[in-house]
Amino acid sequence: MSLHPTVITLPVAIPLLLGAAGMFLQFLQLPRRLQIQQTLVGGGVIVNLAVALLLLVFVLNKGPVAYQMGLWTPPFGITVYLDALSAIMLVMVALLSVLIFPFALATIDSERAQLGFFPMMLFLLMGANGAFLTGDLFNLYVFYEVMLMASFVLLTVGGTPSQVNGGIRYVVLNLVGSMMLLLAAGVSYGTLGTLNMAHIAVRMNDAPYLVQAMIAGLLLIAFGAKAAVFPVFFWLPSSYHTPHPVVTALFSGVLTKVGMYSMFRIFPLFFPWLLNSWQPLLMAIAGLTMVVGVLGAFAQPTIRRLLSFHIISQIGYMVMGLAVAMTPNPYGVGFGLALAILFLVHNQIVKTALLLGGGAVELEMGTGKLNELGGLVRLKPLQATIFFIAAFSLAGFPPTSGFIGKLGLLEVTFSSGQWVIAGVSVFVSLLTTMSMIRLWQYIFWGKPHRHPPTSRRRMEPNYAWMTTAPVITLVALSLALGLFAQPALDVVQTAANQAIDRAAYVKTVGPMLTEQDLRIAPPEWGLTDLGQATELAGR
Amino acid sequence: MTAFMLALLVGVLFACGAYLVLQRGQIKLILGLGLFTHAVNLALFGTSALTRGAPPIVPEDMESVPQRADVLFASYADPLPQALILTAIVISFGVTAFIVALVYRRDALTGSDLAPGELATVINTSDPFAEFTLRTKLPDAADDYDILQYELDEVYDHPEAEREVARE
Amino acid sequence: MIEIYLRLVDKILTPVILLIAIFLFLRGHDLPGGGFIAGLVAASAIELTILARGTQATRDRYGPWAVPLAGAGLTIAVGAALLGMYNGGFFRSIWLEFSMTGEKLKFGTPQLFDLGVMFVVVGMAITYLLRLGEAAEAAVTEQTRLGRQTEDRQR
Repeated sequence: MSLHPTVITLPVAIPLLLGAAGMFLQFLQLPRRLQIQQTLVGGGVIVNLAVALLLLVFVLNKGPVAYQMGLWTPPFGITVYLDALSAIMLVMVALLSVLIFPFALATIDSERAQLGFFPMMLFLLMGANGAFLTGDLFNLYVFYEVMLMASFVLLTVGGTPSQVNGGIRYVVLNLVGSMMLLLAAGVSYGTLGTLNMAHIAVRMNDAPYLVQAMIAGLLLIAFGAKAAVFPVFFWLPSSYHTPHPVVTALFSGVLTKVGMYSMFRIFPLFFPWLLNSWQPLLMAIAGLTMVVGVLGAFAQPTIRRLLSFHIISQIGYMVMGLAVAMTPNPYGVGFGLALAILFLVHNQIVKTALLLGGGAVELEMGTGKLNELGGLVRLKPLQATIFFIAAFSLAGFPPTSGFIGKLGLLEVTFSSGQWVIAGVSVFVSLLTTMSMIRLWQYIFWGKPHRHPPTSRRRMEPNYAWMTTAPVITLVALSLALGLFAQPALDVVQTAANQAIDRAAYVKTVGPMLTEQDLRIAPPEWGLTDLGQATELAGR
Repeated sequence: MTAFMLALLVGVLFACGAYLVLQRGQIKLILGLGLFTHAVNLALFGTSALTRGAPPIVPEDMESVPQRADVLFASYADPLPQALILTAIVISFGVTAFIVALVYRRDALTGSDLAPGELATVINTSDPFAEFTLRTKLPDAADDYDILQYELDEVYDHPEAEREVARE
Repeated sequence: MIEIYLRLVDKILTPVILLIAIFLFLRGHDLPGGGFIAGLVAASAIELTILARGTQATRDRYGPWAVPLAGAGLTIAVGAALLGMYNGGFFRSIWLEFSMTGEKLKFGTPQLFDLGVMFVVVGMAITYLLRLGEAAEAAVTEQTRLGRQTEDRQR
């Protein structure tokens, strides 16, 4: 099987093109333009999933592949890089968007749809896909911004006062985070003289510690702010409960996970040694994120606020996996990263299932306040069962994917000698279980407090299956991932091995340190010896 | 010296931006974010060698292009930071426009420059923007406003759903 | 609100500014200029129209076109990038050369891309300016109304 390398830009090009076409339709007074637009977007997400699956199969067979935009030589043009890690993320995000789409179709009111909800979904997808694929630090910033602009619109479309309030907090804190990323790109260009990730990786080898620490610190703040880790998570719970439930589900599956993906990509590539020397810092961040998230969840009075605190708590586990990524342990270096990726995938599935299930309850009952809900188990036995499985998957019970992810992470942290964080994570798992039982009990157990108000929208013929089928699929995926864990583990192991293999990355992107490059390099870059440099470049 | 002044300016802009963002009041928020983005753009500008009057456009005859790094950097400005700054300006322009629109929307909805839940008593103290009394009208019962409760009521009590029920 | 001098200036200056925008756009590839700057200059012409003729008149004239223009621009830009596939890759440029009265003229996909950028910038800027102009006008109207009320009360 051979693939023209341009194909790997398709996950960016397809949503962009269809989104632009949808936007073009937006204000033209065509009859049935909403239907045309929705068909366009539906087709877009399905084609995107097909392309992503194709790319994943290709990458697993053939190894990573890189492509230069406009065919410029590597350090000058924009590089697009695809390996198993980015392919997994592409597939997951595409899958989530395909599953969320029918839910959105059933529940989004025509007012929001008129304002361009569906094209914005595609733009969000495009930004996320671009962030997964890019091999250029500045381009990463640009794709982050594309994604954030789409998310700003999705968050505030409808424009109720609380949405606007949440939107302002979200926009301001994310803008500050993005500025940190931009500053990191600037520092990288000013000190290392390059923005190409492979080139940075090469030059980071002999960069002074101060430069490394500065770039690493700025990137940690920037990606941490996007992924909502401990000191910079405040934007998440104060905005995620305000928009339409579909938007919350989409964000939880895409936005924070893109931040996490960037950490997985950048840290092992640029400064794997810092993952070891900064391990106490990362461990502290991971532990505090977990504990603060889960304790915050106990105080929350509504479904979505509770679940948004759990998003934060679960991010802590992934940071924990990243922190032990380069520590030697019996399973081999990189096993921690593999499990962090597996946990990320599990979390995307389960969190989206919970938020969609909770959102369906919220829309059906007209309220998301826990003390006004109750007794739904008699009204909706199917929903109650699915939600129960998803909640226990989040808490980490067998035979779900949460069990595999948490067990593996525990195993690898224990065998790396990190007893404290492993203990904390077990404790947090216990608290998560309690919180999930509390949530389920509030929603489904006991006596019904009120009857669901009937609405014309809910009388529509397909409403029931369009809102439950995505959740059932997601829960089935979680169970499948738990029951057939070995193939999944193999895939994430491949992804982690490719992610920590710096030489292969540089080699795939291409030979970069040309003689010309060396001649115009200022002396302070310390790259005078061509032989040494080519060795560094992995040629 | 120029570089030092630039670094100082970036630092001052960052400090002013952070100070303004942390202040109460939306206009200050917008101005603060503007200063923030300017600081970052200036920092990007400072990542290249600072050359005077040397646009980064290489003439068509490649022979006259100097090959040595120091000469090249002295006779042409580095085009890449300029491209980066242009992109960053475009993006921050978009985001600022969006924030201005959001703030306007909030202003139209709540009739106030302040977020709900902020105490009414602190408005008129040492706030140069608070002179315009029409804008500082707060929602009722602002004294013991619980911001979370306010938002949750607002999010979850769907008036349109209830209206629909009443109609049926 | 609508000034007679500004209207005169608008009548004379707006076409000139738009011509400057086109000039900057065409100058773009090898010299300072380009789609983004041209778009901003064109948007400044429209801002002048807003100042001279008020938001409502400008909205009637340009409003319905703003967002479709931006969408069309985006489509053109991506289309130009996709055209590059013909020449070997996404975003690869294709150049056509003409010679006309001795002068060599070059036209290629980067110009098309720039045109798309210009459309996007103009469309977005018009939307933004019109919305904020409307907001400012509403605020001023409200202020005068309230001011008049207080005056009445004082009387």
